[in-house]
Amino acid sequence: MIRMKNIRFHYGKKPLFANMDLDIPKGNIYGLLGMNGAGKTTLLKLMSGQLFPLEGTSSVLGYDPVKRNPDMLADLFHLPEEFLLPRMRAEEYLAINAPFYPKFDHAALHRYCMDFDLDLTQKLNELSFGQKKKFLLSFGLASNTGLLILDEPTNGLDIPSKSQFRRTVASAMTEDRTFIISTHQVRDMENLIDPIIIVHSGKVVFNSDLATIAEKLTMQLERTEPDTTNCIFTEKVPGGWMAVKERQADEEETSIDLETLFNAVVSNPAPFAFSFPQQGGLA
Amino acid sequence: MRFVRVLNREIQESKRTLFIYSLTIFLVLFFQEMVGAFVTRMTGNIISDSVYEGSYPGFLFLGGFIITSMVFAQDMFSRTGQHNWLTLPASTEEKFLAKALLTAIAYPLVLTVIFTLSSVVIEALALLFFGNPFTMFNPFGPYVGKMILHFIATQSIFLLGATYFRKAHFVKTVLALGLIGFALSILATIFVRIVFAPYVTGMFGFHISLNAYDFQNHANLVTIGEWIGNIVYWALLPAFCWFTAYLRVKEVQSTDAVQ
Repeated sequence: MIRMKNIRFHYGKKPLFANMDLDIPKGNIYGLLGMNGAGKTTLLKLMSGQLFPLEGTSSVLGYDPVKRNPDMLADLFHLPEEFLLPRMRAEEYLAINAPFYPKFDHAALHRYCMDFDLDLTQKLNELSFGQKKKFLLSFGLASNTGLLILDEPTNGLDIPSKSQFRRTVASAMTEDRTFIISTHQVRDMENLIDPIIIVHSGKVVFNSDLATIAEKLTMQLERTEPDTTNCIFTEKVPGGWMAVKERQADEEETSIDLETLFNAVVSNPAPFAFSFPQQGGLA
Repeated sequence: MRFVRVLNREIQESKRTLFIYSLTIFLVLFFQEMVGAFVTRMTGNIISDSVYEGSYPGFLFLGGFIITSMVFAQDMFSRTGQHNWLTLPASTEEKFLAKALLTAIAYPLVLTVIFTLSSVVIEALALLFFGNPFTMFNPFGPYVGKMILHFIATQSIFLLGATYFRKAHFVKTVLALGLIGFALSILATIFVRIVFAPYVTGMFGFHISLNAYDFQNHANLVTIGEWIGNIVYWALLPAFCWFTAYLRVKEVQSTDAVQ
């Protein structure tokens, strides 16, 4: 689905990615996590051909994204964090944009718009930022593209809309589709994104599904400060310490807290090399 | 088919702006013509100059150059607007050609239609209110076709400016043209000073006298020069500007967004 190899990219003289590799197979809702400025948005723009790498090769849906092939773009929908909608009614927008997507499902769009409580006869410029985002999200889901890229989709959404977002996105997922959701609000995405990709210091430092993580690691809340020599990562949280440890064969699997996982990976990515099968890492 | 969709999208997204622009043209013409009709009625002096023929070149060239200069502003250089255009499922050629054809071909044709229709309505009103209509706009007049051809040739420069400059496209294109013109005039002066050195009599003095025989000989050179000039103006300039603008569109990316 997506293969990026030895990608180098920088803005001006400030390096962002160096020798970055990324492999995303088809058919999951991937969560792309990273700190502010880690390059999540840049990575998504490299995938959709809005930025060109200085070095390296990429293949998205079988095409080189730099060439912005129309067939690739017709099977890819990218919802950016900030966007501009033309001054027209939603139904006019649909009439001129939907025909570019051969698998566009109008019935599904109406369903999603109803779920989000959107009126298609309304003028787009009269909608709030959150409503515009929900409209574009509905459009993207209804486009039925093989690859759907959502950059910080829950920014600007109210609390009920965030729950609705999770339900709607999950309902639109099929085995032929791949969703990549970039976020720094992992709580909004819990129980939705799996596998997890973490970008840090110009590289993809983590790329694994939750089942593998649960098989390799345990995460437990401990009342007293744990012995750090046995832990991969510890952090003080309300009520005690969250400890991330290597899971022993006889230990039961624990639930994975995404926020703790993220903090553990960005504080020291080395123990998480298991997330790249070819690199080994934990036993 | 996809190209038609791209064209349609361009038109639909800018139809509101185009409607306001058309209305402005109508009101400008209406105001000018009504004032003329009123003055004629009051003074008895017929103003023979056609408002339409006087205003048409201004709207065609100045209006057309400004519109052309703005045509890529949002889609290539706006932080929030660029995304939609770059990810639109159409080829770069289709996206570029849609804008280029709309500004180079469709604009002058639509402007001519607007002028014609406006003149019909305005002259009917002038007849109704003042009883003295003037000449209507003739879209088939020889100067209209010629002006449209000149517009297509010169508009290509502003199309290139629209893709090359990230901000203040029109002003920067005009300034760049001024600078290029200034540099060319200096080069021409140096060329003339060197080639026609024997005829230069002082700092600003220049004396050359051609008899009938010399003129006959030089007439060929003038014809060749005119021929080369025509090729450059009608073919090479538009082709160069369109192709360079296309390459600029092809390589545009998010880092080009500034507004």
